[in-house]
Amino acid sequence: MLTLNLRFIMTMAWYYGVKTIVRGPSYLIASLATPLTLLFLVFVLSHGALVKFAIVGGLIAFVGTVGLSGAGDSAFFRLQLRIQDLYVPSRVSPFDYMAAFTLSYLVFSVPGIILYIYLGSAYHLFNSYDSVMMILVMLLLIISTTSISFIISGSIKHLRNIWGITGILTIITSILPPTFYPYGYVPKDFLYIIALSPTTPAAVVVQGAFGLSPMMDSMFYILIIETICYTILARILVRWREN
Amino acid sequence: MIEIRNLEKEYGKNQKALDSITQDLEGGIVSIIGRNGAGKTTLLRILSTQLKSSSGEAYIDGLSVNKDMKKIRNKIVSIPQEAAPIGILTAYEQVFMYLTGKGFSFHSAKQESIRALKSVGMDNKMHVPTDELSGGMKRKMFVAMALGSNAETVFLDEPTTGLDPLSRLETWGAIKELTGNVVLTTHYMEEATELSKKIYMMDSGKFIGSGTADELLFELRGKVRIESRQHMPGSYNIGNIYVKYVDRSDITKYEKVYYSIKQISIEDLFIIRGVNLES
Repeated sequence: MLTLNLRFIMTMAWYYGVKTIVRGPSYLIASLATPLTLLFLVFVLSHGALVKFAIVGGLIAFVGTVGLSGAGDSAFFRLQLRIQDLYVPSRVSPFDYMAAFTLSYLVFSVPGIILYIYLGSAYHLFNSYDSVMMILVMLLLIISTTSISFIISGSIKHLRNIWGITGILTIITSILPPTFYPYGYVPKDFLYIIALSPTTPAAVVVQGAFGLSPMMDSMFYILIIETICYTILARILVRWREN
Repeated sequence: MIEIRNLEKEYGKNQKALDSITQDLEGGIVSIIGRNGAGKTTLLRILSTQLKSSSGEAYIDGLSVNKDMKKIRNKIVSIPQEAAPIGILTAYEQVFMYLTGKGFSFHSAKQESIRALKSVGMDNKMHVPTDELSGGMKRKMFVAMALGSNAETVFLDEPTTGLDPLSRLETWGAIKELTGNVVLTTHYMEEATELSKKIYMMDSGKFIGSGTADELLFELRGKVRIESRQHMPGSYNIGNIYVKYVDRSDITKYEKVYYSIKQISIEDLFIIRGVNLES
């Protein structure tokens, strides 16, 4: 049976999630920079017509970016700081370790999420029922993207590679999928291909939930299945006890 | 007590990091010395359940590192080679977080973190982000993790590599505070002599000798090391110099060839064993 070391997870989330907001705010600002820039561009280029898509998309891109940036952190912790090796011979399981990172990033995302909630409220985008769906999607998104970050960081041998891979992946997952534009613009077959990125089903579900595009239930199930698959794969590739 | 039985580790084909070693490691503080690539880190990683062996077995207090991993992980602490703190967090925060990872309650983790950091002399530095600490202080933080966790066995992989002499002294002081069994690897011979009651020598994935510093140096008692640019009969060639061990009373016989006389140290034991050197 899977039991989690909640004390460790909460402690890491407090120190590496909350305290780092205060001690290293530039990281948070950097994570918000691209989605907010795109929001501005979409607003100008569409004369405000697609601004609601950009708010929803910006929120998804921001959460996805924070989750994926975990690849840099987890690789740095494993290869450079050797922190992962420190925790292997302890009561921390690989799931505890990944969950601690995930919760840290979720907590770290809170100021950005609040900003987007404010923007969404200003445009009368959110209501309480749909917001529950949005919270659920955001939870699945941060778990799946953090899992992807562990898959990447566990697969690399040299730290130098991680920054490039993360940069490419962040663009592919935050700009290529229909995060900042209606998913109807994308041919349906192609939509299923790019659904490999969790930001795609997340964007489709949230666009549907807020009435910006037709609801596409299948994407919610895809997001759940993806999250499970990526988490299992991350557990295998996290290199907890090496061969 | 650690028992190692026919332990072997291969990386790829014909790359043996550990070559079917069998050895008992005594309790207390013991050192494993050897050159880079001798197999010290691989052995420590296997003993601390971070790495699977290719074959063989090892036991810590009777528990198998392969079959009783969970139980062993509750009893040990392993500080990896060149471990570095998370710079943005303070030493207290990192020791506290580590202790929650070892299963301590928040209350105990707080008490033990403070006690351990004070024990290693970090009273005034425990709430400073570790980015701002000296190398010695950073290493002492890791020793405090071991101290605070009250581990029965602590593995320290080259705990002072890269530190300046003063920082090394500081770290040695912290290591001496540890009460359980300690296995440390090092290639500083004086570190092994200073800290441990027994020294194990490793080379090319094998143990090649063990004993106290005095026991190991017994065969060179009364001798000195002379170094020369010229070949001397019975000398050992190290790079572009030749080393020979002679009785103190015979030094004058070599006056014309040597340029340096040195006291015997444990590194000479590797030389006389011909470790990766041409004799």
